[in-house]
Amino acid sequence: MANNYPAFKSRSESARRVLQRGARGIASAEKVASKGVAFWRRAGFPFRAPSVPRGVSVPPKEPHLGAYFDTSFARKPAARAVRRILVAGPVTGMVKFLARPTVEGTDRLSDLAKRTDVGGVIFAPNHHSHIDTPLMTTAVPSPWNDRLVVAAAADYFFDKRTKGTIAALALNAFPIDRETTSRKSSDELRALLARDWSVVIYPEGGRSPDGWGQDFKAGAAYLSIKTGSPVVPVFIDGTGSVFGKGMKRPRRGHVRVIFGAPLFPEENDNTRRFNERIEKAVTLLGDESLTDFWTSRQRAAAGRSTALTGPEYSGWRRQWSLYEHRKLGAAGQRRRQKRRWPNLG
Amino acid sequence: MPRPGFVLDVDRSTPPILFWRGENYSLEKLPADRSRVIYAPEPEAAIEDIDSAIRHALLNPIEMDPLPTLLFPGMKLTIAFDDISLPLPKMTRPDIRQRVIESVLDLAAEAGVDDVHIIAALALHRRMTEDELRHMLGDRVYDAFAPRGMLYQHDAEDQDNLALLGETPQGEEVEINKRAAESDLLVYVNINLVAMDGGWKSTATGLSSYRSLRHHHNTHTMENSRSFMDQHKSELHKSNWRMGEIMKKHGPKIFQIETTVNNDTFPSAFNFLGKREWEWNARDRAKFVASSAALSRTPARMRRNIFQSIEAPHQMTSIQAGEVEAVHKVTTANVYRQQLVEVQGQTDILTMGIPFICPYNVNSIMNPILVMCTGLGYFFNLYRNKPLVREGGVIIMTHPTTNEFHPVHHPSYIDFFEQVLTETTVPSELEARFEKKFAEDEWYKHLYRTGNAYHGVHPFYMWYWGSHALQHCGKVIIVGGDAPTIRRLGFTPASTFNDALEIASDVVGRSPTITHFHTPPIMIADVK
Amino acid sequence: MKALRVDRSTGRFMLARLVSGIDTGTAAKIGPLTLTNCEPPELVNNEWQRVHPLLTGICGSDLATVEGHASAYFEHWVSFPFVPGHEIVGTLDSGERVVIEPVLGHAARGAELPFPDAAPGDGDDYAHLAMPPLEPGIQIGFCNSTGGGWATELIAHASQIHTIASDMPDERAVLVEPVAGGIHAALLAISHASKTEAPLFAVLGAGTMGLSAIAALRKYSPQATIIVGARYPAQMRIAKTFGATSVVKPDELMRAVRHAAGCHVVGDYLSSGAHVTIDAVGNSNSIALSLRMTRPRGRIVLMGMPSEVTTDLTGLWHRETQLMGAYTYGTETLPNGTKKRTFLMAIELANEIRAEQMLSATYPLSEYQQALRHASEAGARGAIKVAFDMRQEKLR
Repeated sequence: MANNYPAFKSRSESARRVLQRGARGIASAEKVASKGVAFWRRAGFPFRAPSVPRGVSVPPKEPHLGAYFDTSFARKPAARAVRRILVAGPVTGMVKFLARPTVEGTDRLSDLAKRTDVGGVIFAPNHHSHIDTPLMTTAVPSPWNDRLVVAAAADYFFDKRTKGTIAALALNAFPIDRETTSRKSSDELRALLARDWSVVIYPEGGRSPDGWGQDFKAGAAYLSIKTGSPVVPVFIDGTGSVFGKGMKRPRRGHVRVIFGAPLFPEENDNTRRFNERIEKAVTLLGDESLTDFWTSRQRAAAGRSTALTGPEYSGWRRQWSLYEHRKLGAAGQRRRQKRRWPNLG
Repeated sequence: MPRPGFVLDVDRSTPPILFWRGENYSLEKLPADRSRVIYAPEPEAAIEDIDSAIRHALLNPIEMDPLPTLLFPGMKLTIAFDDISLPLPKMTRPDIRQRVIESVLDLAAEAGVDDVHIIAALALHRRMTEDELRHMLGDRVYDAFAPRGMLYQHDAEDQDNLALLGETPQGEEVEINKRAAESDLLVYVNINLVAMDGGWKSTATGLSSYRSLRHHHNTHTMENSRSFMDQHKSELHKSNWRMGEIMKKHGPKIFQIETTVNNDTFPSAFNFLGKREWEWNARDRAKFVASSAALSRTPARMRRNIFQSIEAPHQMTSIQAGEVEAVHKVTTANVYRQQLVEVQGQTDILTMGIPFICPYNVNSIMNPILVMCTGLGYFFNLYRNKPLVREGGVIIMTHPTTNEFHPVHHPSYIDFFEQVLTETTVPSELEARFEKKFAEDEWYKHLYRTGNAYHGVHPFYMWYWGSHALQHCGKVIIVGGDAPTIRRLGFTPASTFNDALEIASDVVGRSPTITHFHTPPIMIADVK
Repeated sequence: MKALRVDRSTGRFMLARLVSGIDTGTAAKIGPLTLTNCEPPELVNNEWQRVHPLLTGICGSDLATVEGHASAYFEHWVSFPFVPGHEIVGTLDSGERVVIEPVLGHAARGAELPFPDAAPGDGDDYAHLAMPPLEPGIQIGFCNSTGGGWATELIAHASQIHTIASDMPDERAVLVEPVAGGIHAALLAISHASKTEAPLFAVLGAGTMGLSAIAALRKYSPQATIIVGARYPAQMRIAKTFGATSVVKPDELMRAVRHAAGCHVVGDYLSSGAHVTIDAVGNSNSIALSLRMTRPRGRIVLMGMPSEVTTDLTGLWHRETQLMGAYTYGTETLPNGTKKRTFLMAIELANEIRAEQMLSATYPLSEYQQALRHASEAGARGAIKVAFDMRQEKLR
């Protein structure tokens, strides 16, 4: 390429060179290794899996992926020790790099932490992105962060064995089938709550398709009523633009995680009513995150909170109002300029 | 079940006793068979479900209608709160004030109240920084109100925003914050750390001006308050209560919310400091040895940073709301329940270790004047019936008492130390000769109003706080301090505790009785 | 005659300067100063008289010379070798006791007076200071022809001689010269604040000159507030008895001035401050401090000899501060318009304030090392003025 200007390397160009070099290195390593494994390639059964004769059918194996993925190993002491390291290191690093989270409202949980009669806690955040799960494992405060299970989409996190193992090990993810309610997973979650494990459940059941929230499903409320564990409403703001549904690769951004005051099921609560309270609480937190504490309270009292699910209409107006909605959050204060004569020593 | 406070008679097998020395501490052997040590009661259990307790107090006030019925759309609501001088040390987040204010705001929002102002009732104290306000009120309240100018700090020198409510029969002017005076409802959020706080002192002092304060912050009042920690024998409180009568008649409707905290003062890293010495285990002893050795090798500035960053685990033990006087009766009883220790008889020598903090040096420097105020003002006055030390007895304090002042927080203290104390240390004399000049100094006013400085007259109040003790004691000795500085305070320096006892023998004879006031944690000696 | 003489020896000046940091006594010994027995100066004409000093003070400028710190400025204004000492009380051959006004003015050199009855220090042309019949020299004590006070003899011109009353002790009279300097500085201060009801004066440094200035300020401006920065207890005590309103440590002075003025502090500077600051120290720090605490359009009277200083003068420019030297004395115009010789006023004031309380120690000429050491450490050793005592000298 003829180029008379001083050499100017774009980032992608230099990155490409590094990749090329790396690829060459790997290629030569492979050449060496291939000699070692040549035997296995040549040798047949019993050194290799048998081929199936024609006309016979092999009975299907028990499903072990998706919602059937067994994650109990991840709650054993050894796995927990590994997880502590993983969460403190790579997971937190990744979250910090991508999402740069601000965590607020943990002071509302200070009493809950001191209560001896409360074991497991159900965290109920809204859901925009797959990054919500690692985000929650890093954002949930002590003492719950050490015994925290995240209900994660079985079809996304547990579709492959290694992926599932990593998710279970690193995030203590627990597979939940979002299409059908499975008796197995709800029973296991109840058992976990009874053993003082806390759970993150996304009541929306899946990531937001358009940036607005979705109606809350009753899972969290149901579990809470069954076990008596409190529900902590959580609002996560901004992960949709970091790695929202439909995005091919993540984009760095700023997110906020706001914890609300814990909700206990009251005596006359049924699942539906309690679920409404949870949804309202998350809505209020959402409003708080975009305006401020006082405004959100006033609007809630007047019934003017912006619904998580957005306006009724669809199409571009829905997107348009999402933009307006988000702009509210930018009403920050400007930092004061330094106005003094510089001290030159 | 927490153990009550008690008085230990020192015998030959009593271990050396902990003495605070500013940002350090030492163990001192007290003479056997004639010494006593007074220990504070152990911390009461805190309320478990604080938010529910707050809500319950707001909905079931004492001698007043529930808060929601006092709120209506279009009203002017003002919430005033105690400043950074309480509690000590600062409490871990969330602060009580944040929780109470958030609850009040929740109710106000439900009632459709739009016009809400939140005012720090700091009287002549320094303005707080943003970080300090955030710690106290939480980010939610701060972010919602401060940028709109609805959260601010009372300015006792802003003549346009003060309202004169009237005069008491004794001619005491009652002048308070105008916004508070003109509100339909004034909600006062208090933390009652010691028995002096609360009641009418909250509003009549916290939201008032120099014009109003000078009627009870003076030597006459302080010398006639025996002690100012006992509101029934305190001229200070009588004056405040008289002002309260005027407020009742001409002021806003006041919804007083008072809270008490337990005396759980030290976080786990420092918990041995609150334990009785003979109960120190190996770890406590190791912590003491390591920390005191390390602290004595640490630069003063870093040492202060370490101690000022302590956040105490103390927590709310009661909350009551409603009519000021009725509420304060309950509050006082609750404070006494936690802090009262019964002591038999007075003593010849009262010893006390002055710790790193007092109400006026939060995030700041404990200057010599504050040392005097902490020892002779606060600790000396933490009694009921009669002082711990007999009339003409000796007070021995341990504190490094260096000639150091925080230039931003205490500018007038420096001038007070250099220009007033060199002339006289007699409270009534310095009051007559110098107070007015300091109170009206434009620069101090400017720093108070725009910076983070205590008001120009504040060092005088600190000195008045100790005037009862100065009158009562025969001698004051400070151990381990900077000698010229201590002499300027009018006290006697001693290099070791034993030297101090020797010096004291001039006044109280060869074998005096000694009582050590083992505080912090805070307590009140009920001297029979 | 017995005399302490300063010779022109660059090497010894430099040595003295090197050693003076450690000990002035040693510096005096190895420096340009020597104790000699030499011929007394000759009388120039019949206007001159022989003076036998009784007491002669040791002044800061004398010390500077002995320590080799004198400014190059004086190179052409003095004549070597000379006998230092200009704070002199002595007797004439007639036995009359006199104090000497040391400045070698027009009359002493036979030049035309700038105005009738002018004092030696008056006039606005210094040409005569370097003109015959005398060798160059600004004062007795810096001039080869006249000798100086650190000797048993010197000569003085009639215009320089002031007879003193018999009830004035020698110890008081020896301080008349510095008191005159103080009066001169004080009147420069008072005249600048003449329009103010209750002026605020700050005095930085409470050596002999500073103290004299305080006494003079109090006398000629009774309603003034005088705030003094003094380092040592003895200085503080005397400053107080001489009429200072308040006396503080030098590092507290700015705050005390601020407090008295009731003004603000903006950065390092007072927003207002003292009407006039008398700087009786005269180094970079003291001038910088004076600039900070003198109000805009105020005046700084520099009484201490400053030598070379490094100071940021932006404040001086912006505040339009007057920086004014106060060297000696002459004829003063009092606030009420009358004119008077400073020296006569000084004799009066010295009597009123009992100036002898500033004289802390005397030494014979032979113990000059100890004397100079004591003088250089005066404050720390609780002294104000140290003097040589020639009353016991055999040669008299």
